[in-house]
Amino acid sequence: MRGQKVSMLLGCALLCSASLLYLGLSGIDCPPPDHAHRHTWADAHLGSTNQSQASPIYYGEDTPLIFIGGFPRSGTTLMRAMLDAHNAVRCGEETRVIPRLLAMRATWSRSARERVRLDEAGVTDQVLDSAMRAFLLEVIIGHGEPAARLCNKDPFALKSLSYLARIFPQAKFVLMLRDGRATVHSMISRKVTISGFDLTSYRDCLTKWSRAVEGMYSQCQGAPEGSCLPVRYEQLVLHPEVEMRKLLSFLGLPWDPAVLHHEDLIGKAGGVSLSKVERSTDQVVNPVNTDALSKWVGHIPSDVLREMDDIAPMLARLGYDPLANPPDYARPDPIIAPKNYTLADDDFLLLSFREQKPYIPVRWRRR
Amino acid sequence: MLYLNTSSQAPYLGALPESTSLPLLQQVMRVSARRVLTGLLILGGISTLTQFLRFCLPCRQPSQGAGEPVTVLVRDGWRVSSDVPLVFVGGVPRSGTTLMRAMLDAHPAVRCGEETRVVPRILGLKLGWAAEKEGVSTKVLDRAVTAFLLQIIAGHGEPAPLLCNKDPFTLKSAKYLAHLFPNSKFLLMLRDGRAAVYSMISRRVTIGGFDLSSYRDCLAKWSGATQAMLTQCTQVGSKRCLAVRYERLVLHPRSTLQTVLKFLGLPWHEGVLHHEEAIGKPGGVSLSKTERSTDQVMRPVNLDALTRWVGHMPPDVMADMDAIAPMLGRLGYDPRANPPNYGQSDPQFLNNTQRMSMKGSQTER
Repeated sequence: MRGQKVSMLLGCALLCSASLLYLGLSGIDCPPPDHAHRHTWADAHLGSTNQSQASPIYYGEDTPLIFIGGFPRSGTTLMRAMLDAHNAVRCGEETRVIPRLLAMRATWSRSARERVRLDEAGVTDQVLDSAMRAFLLEVIIGHGEPAARLCNKDPFALKSLSYLARIFPQAKFVLMLRDGRATVHSMISRKVTISGFDLTSYRDCLTKWSRAVEGMYSQCQGAPEGSCLPVRYEQLVLHPEVEMRKLLSFLGLPWDPAVLHHEDLIGKAGGVSLSKVERSTDQVVNPVNTDALSKWVGHIPSDVLREMDDIAPMLARLGYDPLANPPDYARPDPIIAPKNYTLADDDFLLLSFREQKPYIPVRWRRR
Repeated sequence: MLYLNTSSQAPYLGALPESTSLPLLQQVMRVSARRVLTGLLILGGISTLTQFLRFCLPCRQPSQGAGEPVTVLVRDGWRVSSDVPLVFVGGVPRSGTTLMRAMLDAHPAVRCGEETRVVPRILGLKLGWAAEKEGVSTKVLDRAVTAFLLQIIAGHGEPAPLLCNKDPFTLKSAKYLAHLFPNSKFLLMLRDGRAAVYSMISRRVTIGGFDLSSYRDCLAKWSGATQAMLTQCTQVGSKRCLAVRYERLVLHPRSTLQTVLKFLGLPWHEGVLHHEEAIGKPGGVSLSKTERSTDQVMRPVNLDALTRWVGHMPPDVMADMDAIAPMLGRLGYDPRANPPNYGQSDPQFLNNTQRMSMKGSQTER
C-alpha cells in the first residue's frame, strides 16, 4: 500500500545516504593498477632470470636498455608496439618526463659558467650522470611490467642520443625515420601540437622537421659502432618481417613471430599496453598497414612543393626524392653517405641548420 | 486493491478482500513477486550508485610506506637509501643559510657541502609535472626524484652519518621532501627581511623573481617566500622542522646550536662554534669559490651584518613597511623600528666582532 511504499522509499533513501556517508568518510582504496595482474605473468616467464625490479642497484650503467625515438609521427609508436609484442621486451607508453629531464640536463651543460659553478659545488659530470641514470632507471623500470629487455619510447629523448649512449654504454637506439612530408602532414591534419611548430604552416613545420631530424640523425651516426639503427617507417610497413628480423638481430634478440601481429596482444599481459591519451593509439590498434604512406600527396601547398629541397634538405639526404609526389617507397633510394660530423662530448643538442646544399645523385628522376 | 468478485456482492472499501476469485497462492505470489522485484531493483540501484561513486570519489592511494625504500649506489660499496637520516637547511637567500650549514659541517657527524643548485631545479620540474595525469604514475615519479636527489646529495661530498643539503629554496618543498625522505629534518633560517634584502641588493646577488632595483619588490617577495616556507615548516611539524633566527644564531651561538643539535639528535661538539678553523679540512667545511657568501663565512661568527641595513631603506618603503612585508611584524621584527632590538650578544662572541673591526673588514658593506 501507499504507506508501505513510502516507508520502503524512506528506507532506501536512508540506506543510500548511509552508504554514501560511510564511503565518503572511510575512503575507498584505489583499484589496483592494471599492471598488478601482469606480474603473475612475469613471475611465470622470468623465473629463469633473477633480476629484481624497482631497484637500480641491480640495474646499473650496464643495463642493455632500448631507446626508441625519432621525430613524432614517424612510426615510433608502431615500432614500440611491435617490440612490445615480443615476449622478452617491454616498452610501455611514453613517459613524457624523460625528454624534459634530458633537455634540462642539456641546458645545465650548455653554459660554461654553470659548469664551473656545479663543479665547485662537487656536482661534477660524474655525479650528475649517476643522478640522471638513477632517475631514468627508476622511471623505465617502474613504468610497466618487468621484462628481460627494458625499452623506452619518448620521441624527443633521442635529441640527447649521444648523452644517453655515454651514460648507458650497453644501450641500443632505434631511430625512426620517415618522409618529412608524410610526418608533417600527419601533424597538421591530426593537429598534434609540438612546441615550437606552427601547425598552420607546412613550410615552417618542414623546415623544423629537417633541422630536428638532422640533429638526431647525426647523433645516431656518431654513436658507438653498432649501437644505433635507423629504421625507415616506409620499409617497416611495406616489409615488416624483413625489417623486424633485421631489428631483432641488431638488438640481439631471438625471433618471435608475435611481433608481426602486435594487434593481437593489445591490453594483454606481457603484450602491448596502450595509452588512452596518446595520439597514435587509434592507429596502432590496427595491424601493420600501408594506409598512411602517401596520404600527404596533394595536401602540400604548391609553393612549398617547388622549394621542397631548400626547405627540407634532409629529405634528399635520407633518400626521399624531394620533387617526387610521392616517391616510390617500394624502391627506396639509399641514405646518402654521411658527412663527417665530429661531435664534441657535450653536443647533444640540436645542431645548427647547415647552409650547404646537399649532394643529390644524378640518377634522381624528376617527375 | 479491490477484487470484484463474480458474485454480485458489492465490495466494501477498507477491508481485506475476502474474495477467493483468485487462488490464494497466486495472490501471494503476485504480491511477493512485486516486492522481490522492487527489492532487487533497489539493490541494483544501490550497487550501481556505489560503483559510480567509486569512480567519482577520490580514492586512497595504497600507503607509500609499504613500498621498499629507494636505494642508490653512490660510489664503490657506498649505498644510500631514502630512509637515511637527512637534514635540509634552507630559507630565503641571505638569511644565514650558509653560516648555519658551515657550522653544522664543522661537526664531525655532519656533512652538508656546497649548494648543489640542481636540487631545487628538479623539485621545480616535479612541481610542474605534478599536474599531469599522463605518462608515469606519481609513485614512480616520486621514486625517480628520490633516486636523483640521493645521488646528488650523497655524491657531491664525503660520506657522513648525517647527510645534509643546503639549497635555500628547497624549504618551499619541505612537505614533499618530508614525504620522500621519512627520516629527514628541516632547518628554516629566518632573518629580518630588511637585512636580507639589503644584503641581496647591495651585493647584487641575483635571485630568480627578485627585482634587485627595487627594495619594495624585494621586500614583498621576501615576505611571500618566508610565509610559504613557514607554512610548509608548520605542516611538516615541530618534530621535523625547526625555525632558527639568524640574529639569535649570531648573538647566542652556543645556546642556539645546542638547540639545533638537540633537535637533530646529535651530541654537542665544541668545533661548531669555531667553524672557521675547519675550512678546507677533511671532514670539515668545504666552501665553493663561486658562492656569494663564501667570503663572509670564512670568518668567525660575528655581528657585522646585523644592522648594516639601517639607513639604506628608501623612506617611502620605510613608511609602508608593514603593508609591503607583513611577515616582518608576524615574525616579531618591528616594522617601524630601525633597527629593532635583536638582543644582546654573548660576550665571548663580541670579541670576534671587535677583532674583525680592528683588523678592518675586507668588504666595506
